[in-house]
Amino acid sequence: MKRQSNWLLGAALACASLFLAGSAAAQVTLEVMNPRGEIPPPKTLGISPRGGKLDGKKIVLIDNGKFGADNFLNVVAQIIKQKYPGATVVMDPKPSAQTITALPKWYPTVKQQGDLFVFGVGD
Amino acid sequence: MPGVYFTTTEFLDDAKSAAKDRGMPGIRMIALPADTYYRARATQQELQPIANAVFDRMVDDLVRPLTAEEAKPSQVQKQHENTNIKVTGKDFQDAYQNVNDLFLESHWADGLPIVPPTPALVKAMLAATTRSPDEVLGQAAPKNGTATVEKIAVNAVMAGAKPEYFPVILAAMDGFLDKHYDLTHVQASTGSFTPVVIVNGPLSKELDFNSGIGMLGHGWRANSTVGRALRLSLLNIGQTWPAVNDMALTGRFEAYTFFTFAEDEAKSPWEPYSVSRGFKPEDSTVTVASSGTPLILGGGAVAPWTAQGIIDLVVARAPNSAFWVHSQQYTIILHPDCAYELGKMGFTRKSLEEYLYEHTKVPYEKVAATTTAFGHDKASDLIQAAIDDGRIRPDRAQIFRDALKPGGKVPIVQSPEDFHIFVAGGSPGYSLLFSYTGPNWANETKKVSGATLTKAGH
Repeated sequence: MKRQSNWLLGAALACASLFLAGSAAAQVTLEVMNPRGEIPPPKTLGISPRGGKLDGKKIVLIDNGKFGADNFLNVVAQIIKQKYPGATVVMDPKPSAQTITALPKWYPTVKQQGDLFVFGVGD
Repeated sequence: MPGVYFTTTEFLDDAKSAAKDRGMPGIRMIALPADTYYRARATQQELQPIANAVFDRMVDDLVRPLTAEEAKPSQVQKQHENTNIKVTGKDFQDAYQNVNDLFLESHWADGLPIVPPTPALVKAMLAATTRSPDEVLGQAAPKNGTATVEKIAVNAVMAGAKPEYFPVILAAMDGFLDKHYDLTHVQASTGSFTPVVIVNGPLSKELDFNSGIGMLGHGWRANSTVGRALRLSLLNIGQTWPAVNDMALTGRFEAYTFFTFAEDEAKSPWEPYSVSRGFKPEDSTVTVASSGTPLILGGGAVAPWTAQGIIDLVVARAPNSAFWVHSQQYTIILHPDCAYELGKMGFTRKSLEEYLYEHTKVPYEKVAATTTAFGHDKASDLIQAAIDDGRIRPDRAQIFRDALKPGGKVPIVQSPEDFHIFVAGGSPGYSLLFSYTGPNWANETKKVSGATLTKAGH
């Protein structure tokens, strides 16, 4: 164990000493390598255009299945009905995490059900 | 389709990070106040003022025309992470401290001091394997950082690992980065999932991994620094940080080194676990699993225990309400005395796996009456969906079809091999259950290869 610790310290000191020469203030510089993985940047997309008013629109409220999300969205639905009687609310639970493979088929069905969506509550 | 995403103040950074990672940084989000939402969410009445407070903002976000940046956001540029960094101090000690400060402030360290990863030390680490520094092992979740052999070497140096350990670290990373291992869930979930890393084969002895008393604890350099090298590699290559995109609410049970140990093959009445999974006795392997809260099954130096009592407790505690039968995994660590007793009772590893598979089955009527943890669905419907979409393997599907009927008994895992039984610990010792319940699989065993500094692992 001790032999190995000495090896590490020795190697680090040897590296540091490479940068001692020529330094007027006798500073030590440690050159170290970056530990982070490079991330291939995703193609960046804009969000969907929007405008106009809520009245006349069909709004899909998506419950993500987390505890209490249904309660929150039900309250949101009540307020929409009170303030925007011309709007329609559709409740659509997201398929649970267990049926994650169902999601690709589910996304288009959301679009078919309305004009706007509200998703919550994460987490 | 225009939309608004509700989250809470505690998860806003996580949500923004995920949106950026997936190429839609402009998603309109509204953060509910975490300090009141979670307490109020049980009833609509209590949620009323919270919903009222954000309602006008929600409507505005749904209809307000886009800004130019929202309509066409700037392309995210690649961040180059390959430039070495020079850190100066008035002497070595000062420079060493400055490196540590920089790494922690940059979220590149785990909070404990690191060994500065100088090019010389990384070169020495790389010399321990025949694998090319440029080899890509995979993309690490959640941000899909590219895991090269060299990047893992940098993190292994930081962890204080001996170069001899490096091939084991690479094999473990092969497991974590396997496309079947759900690293996103393990790294980012609100649950305290902690990786379990178990070494088999001749390297476990040659590198002096602890498999006896205290095998989960401190004091053994192989256990501690291999685990820490994996911790740092996943942190830096997957780019996670607590409360930003690692949302484990109470953190992780072995946050700095994971549960890293070796099977005690000499004290096992059975063949090594790796051999039971098709590897040769001369192979060294690393199994990477994951665990929620570990459960002590029994044993110890004080209270009496029986081997039957220990497996009875597995039977009693393994079933849970999620019924993720397509992906559930159980890693069982039997202390040597318990394994010896089970061997005396006539159990082989295989027959014990089959015993647990049979005895943990749940009556269909109970499954059909269970609403899953994520609401909406009956557990029986979800198992049927897993059969239909192929997550339950075709060769196991008929077993589940037959079980999903009145009077049927539903397995909690796909097959008996989803009970992974190892022997480790002291004599006396305790037996442990590591349970993993997640939407996808999280268990892989990989062979160590390419070692240059050890007798085994070539």
